[in-house]
Amino acid sequence: MIKEMEPAPKGSEYDFYFGPAHPGSGNFGVKLKLEGEVVVSARADPGYLHRGFEKLMEYRTPLQNAVLSDRLCILEPLNWNLIHAEAVDELMGIDIPERAKYIRVIMAELSRIQSHIIWYGVFSKGVGFDTGFKLAFGYRDYIMDLFELITGGRVYPAGYICPGGVRRDFPKDTKKKILKVLDKMNKIIKLEELENPAMNARAKGVGILKLKDAIRLGATGPVIRGSGMNTDVRKEEPYEIYDRLDFEVPIRKEGDAYARYWIGIEEMKQSINIVKQALEELPDGEVIDSSLKKPKLTTKIPEGEVYVRNEISRGEAGIYMVSNGEVSPYRTKVRGPDFLHMIPVLEYLLKGVQIADVPAVYWSLNICPADMDR
Amino acid sequence: MDKKESEFLKKIKTKFKIDGKVQRDRRIWISITDDKLIEICKWMKENGFVHLSAISVTDWLKDGNYELTYHLWSYDDKILVTIKTRINRNKPNIESVTPIWEKNAQIHERELHELFGVNFNGNEDLVPLFLENWKGPAPFRKDFDWRDFVRDEFYDKKNEREQVYYD
Repeated sequence: MIKEMEPAPKGSEYDFYFGPAHPGSGNFGVKLKLEGEVVVSARADPGYLHRGFEKLMEYRTPLQNAVLSDRLCILEPLNWNLIHAEAVDELMGIDIPERAKYIRVIMAELSRIQSHIIWYGVFSKGVGFDTGFKLAFGYRDYIMDLFELITGGRVYPAGYICPGGVRRDFPKDTKKKILKVLDKMNKIIKLEELENPAMNARAKGVGILKLKDAIRLGATGPVIRGSGMNTDVRKEEPYEIYDRLDFEVPIRKEGDAYARYWIGIEEMKQSINIVKQALEELPDGEVIDSSLKKPKLTTKIPEGEVYVRNEISRGEAGIYMVSNGEVSPYRTKVRGPDFLHMIPVLEYLLKGVQIADVPAVYWSLNICPADMDR
Repeated sequence: MDKKESEFLKKIKTKFKIDGKVQRDRRIWISITDDKLIEICKWMKENGFVHLSAISVTDWLKDGNYELTYHLWSYDDKILVTIKTRINRNKPNIESVTPIWEKNAQIHERELHELFGVNFNGNEDLVPLFLENWKGPAPFRKDFDWRDFVRDEFYDKKNEREQVYYD
């Protein structure tokens, strides 16, 4: 006869290191203290991917920094390009051409879609649904092909969105190709929406983050929206052309891993909607400001300071840039959403969960170690 | 310029007698002395600024100052207020805002303690975050030359291939 398992005896705690080179973690580690199979406490251990971008940017011109800003997050370089470019634009007082604004938004939203697809992929892997992982990375490649066509780089666009606008115009027939890819995206969304026993069993009711705690711990983006807060930087503080576009902000009240996963799917639908609207209204004209068309290495950034906020797929991203009138910015502070999601929020959510649920909670936060470590 | 920004600025100016300006829509910058920080931050939190977006330090080497900036966002008013305060860069001590923004502030302060060497009085957990076994000075200070540091620390003058760094 099988006896019911007895709880682990007192004092039998042991340490368990989740990451930083574990296939289920990304370049980031969490030190767990376990008692039996239950996590007693968790302590994030960042730094595996620290490259000191903020310091590096003080040594480079905006042109070089635009390329460097790609690397702030591997999974959505175009969005980070955009934030950096907006910070420099605002310091320089440039009003970029209309067409460039539309192209920036189209690229940022395409980037958001592919980032959410990755999220779905890694989250599927986290809950033990391997098919989702493979589907996701297969479909993501359609968008990678678009990026290659438009920017020249599949993953890193090499500063395609640069101060003053974008580096070059859309090649011929791009509009048609984007619309075709969006059709493909509708297919992956349909697959993601299928009632899936693995997701239901492993994600529902796991890693519950209440709204009060979400605010206290500094959560933003899909994480706080999954806890019931109606907030989106694109709505609250419209940059580029977001005030002219019609889209909704999906919200869930449960605050568990499943709610966040659901938000990811809904946001992809909204992004597709945004890209379609922007493509329809895309005006003709220049794509880069005339003063920066042929950038010079001696172009100086006027004195001043700005704090720019954007909504990227992971949450609120910001750049605080100070210039003292030199070629390079005097100080750049990068505020990544994952800095808070991966340290305070994750540590809080992991307390008391089963060890098997650690990857599910971990990936439900849509994490990216690169923008946390910088 | 929007009305709500100037109204808010007027409110805080008369309450605490401080300098400030409206930069553009949804952006207010105020400068204060460091002894007023906690009092003002408490008031800000009570007035809807529940989200601490970021804390940053700028090293003004020429003036001998560290400038700390606290970027606060209000979900209700939709305004971002940046509080700026200066402290001596050779003795960088300041009160911690962890009693106000709790864990959120704690992690930002922990990062700045490591990168700039700022001591936040009242923050109990300031162990290094990113750098492992770091023995040099605070790396983000303006007078820290990382090129020299890397050369002295990691390169070998006798190594034929690394000699170029010493020319």
